[in-house]
Amino acid sequence: MVKPTIYSDLIHYLMYFILIIFAFLALYPLFFVLITSLKSAGEYINNKLLLPQKISFVNYRYVWINGNMLKYFINSCILIPAALIFYLFTCISAGFAFGRLRFPFRFLIFLSVLFLMIFPQMLLSIQIFQIVRKMHLVNTYVGLILVWVAYFAPFGTYIMTTYYSSVPMEMVESARIDGANIWQMLFRIMVPIAKPMIVIIIIIGFQSMWNELPFSLLILQTEHLRTITQGIGMMQGQYGLDDTILTAAIISATLVPMVLFMFFQRQITMGSYSGAVKG
Amino acid sequence: MKSEAVDSYLLITPLLVLLTIFILYPVVANIYLSFFKWKGMGRASFIGFENYQTMFKDQTFWTSIKNTFMLLLYVPLGTILPIMIAAILREGLKGWPIFRAIIYLPNILGYVIMGMIFSIVLRKNGPLNSVLTVVGLGDYALDWLNKSDLALNSLGLVYGVWIRLGFGCIYFLAAMSSIDESLYDAAKIDGALWWRTFWNVTVPSIRFSIEFWIVLSFIEILARAFPFIYTFSRGGPGFATFTLEYGIYNAGFIAFNMGYASAWASMLFVFCGIIAFFQVSLMRKNING
Repeated sequence: MVKPTIYSDLIHYLMYFILIIFAFLALYPLFFVLITSLKSAGEYINNKLLLPQKISFVNYRYVWINGNMLKYFINSCILIPAALIFYLFTCISAGFAFGRLRFPFRFLIFLSVLFLMIFPQMLLSIQIFQIVRKMHLVNTYVGLILVWVAYFAPFGTYIMTTYYSSVPMEMVESARIDGANIWQMLFRIMVPIAKPMIVIIIIIGFQSMWNELPFSLLILQTEHLRTITQGIGMMQGQYGLDDTILTAAIISATLVPMVLFMFFQRQITMGSYSGAVKG
Repeated sequence: MKSEAVDSYLLITPLLVLLTIFILYPVVANIYLSFFKWKGMGRASFIGFENYQTMFKDQTFWTSIKNTFMLLLYVPLGTILPIMIAAILREGLKGWPIFRAIIYLPNILGYVIMGMIFSIVLRKNGPLNSVLTVVGLGDYALDWLNKSDLALNSLGLVYGVWIRLGFGCIYFLAAMSSIDESLYDAAKIDGALWWRTFWNVTVPSIRFSIEFWIVLSFIEILARAFPFIYTFSRGGPGFATFTLEYGIYNAGFIAFNMGYASAWASMLFVFCGIIAFFQVSLMRKNING
């Protein structure tokens, strides 16, 4: 029985080896971006790989003060919460109806909503731009919010629908006997019991909107309106900026998603399902 | 009971109105506009199939199709690697949740940021080539983004494989969690080697998830790569990483040839339809067992 243990030890080392390689491949590009953003342009030419000899915040000062990073950042911080409120209202109310209520053509309409998810952004882009232009909403946040919610809400609705269809029926029934109208039921019962799922669709919605490019590119054409992702996407290659400055812009744009994700991940893993059942 | 129906329609109205205006109408209107010549302003004139004829004679159209097929060649690698890593993570080695978290980490950043990171990493005087030179592989320090074939293959490796690893691990781990543990015990009693168990137990058990993953990968490459390519290579050098999506963008928003751009978009529509067909038939097959 000596042979199997040697063999299984070997397999274990090999597995660790593979995991370490892939963890390295995942982490190294980010690590490289971080250390590069702390080097001066002059140091980067001669020192690509090692840690910065002298930590310099000159790149950050450039993107935040000379560049428009601060403006873009504020834009995203105004635009995304506003869009999320509208997105949540749309997903929760539709999810409640599809998951919990009975009405003619319910399943057919729900399937059509899911079906509409297959159309990609660039296929819709030409017509969406024309519609937004006809509504005089080019270069407005209202225009982008409407398009974002239309594009991202089907998935959020799908998640809310599957959640609400698993909620015990009694809660809805008791509210109905109390004589509450549909909006009271929505805000007093359906929203509070679905809190863990709402956190999940907020995170999904936030990530989709924070990282969105094509629609922002079409609708926000004035420079001072740009979102942070759009601002960075257009910064690249256009003005011949140093790589050190680009990396500082990348780190600046990823800070919020990173922090939010770490903060919310704990909340998600704290038993979203068990918490949901208890209400 | 009547009021429940009225309430329900009230609740789904915001969603349906938005979907009708911004998704359903654009899909239909796009096909309609593809038969017109229109510069984005003024009157549109009906020209029949002329946009399509122009497109089929357009060299860049065929380049974009060829590029897309080349990128699809990376799907097998982009499928087998996450399955393998997920199977290793599933062994529950010490510290495996940390590895899972690290491998997933790049997914938090969007495609725009990742495209930008790799456009810096793969530069001729960038860090990858510095590493290669340091370890004595200087001959392989190539100009990854400025030679046509290399640029397309770099895109395939990064966008088709690297980017999909993190989500793929999570996806396949979830699929593997429903495999009957007794299958592994039986394999262990038989003295099967890890590799054999992987091929004979793990892979067949998650067959449906694998097929679905391949369909998802096709969609990502065909219809969701624009934000990545926009910062990674802007479709270049020349037209080396030019795709259908990029063609729509160029014809519509650079050349303002809206009718022509709609013809390109209709081709994307056709491909999405084919993929959707496979998706639905897969789901049906799964439900029927």
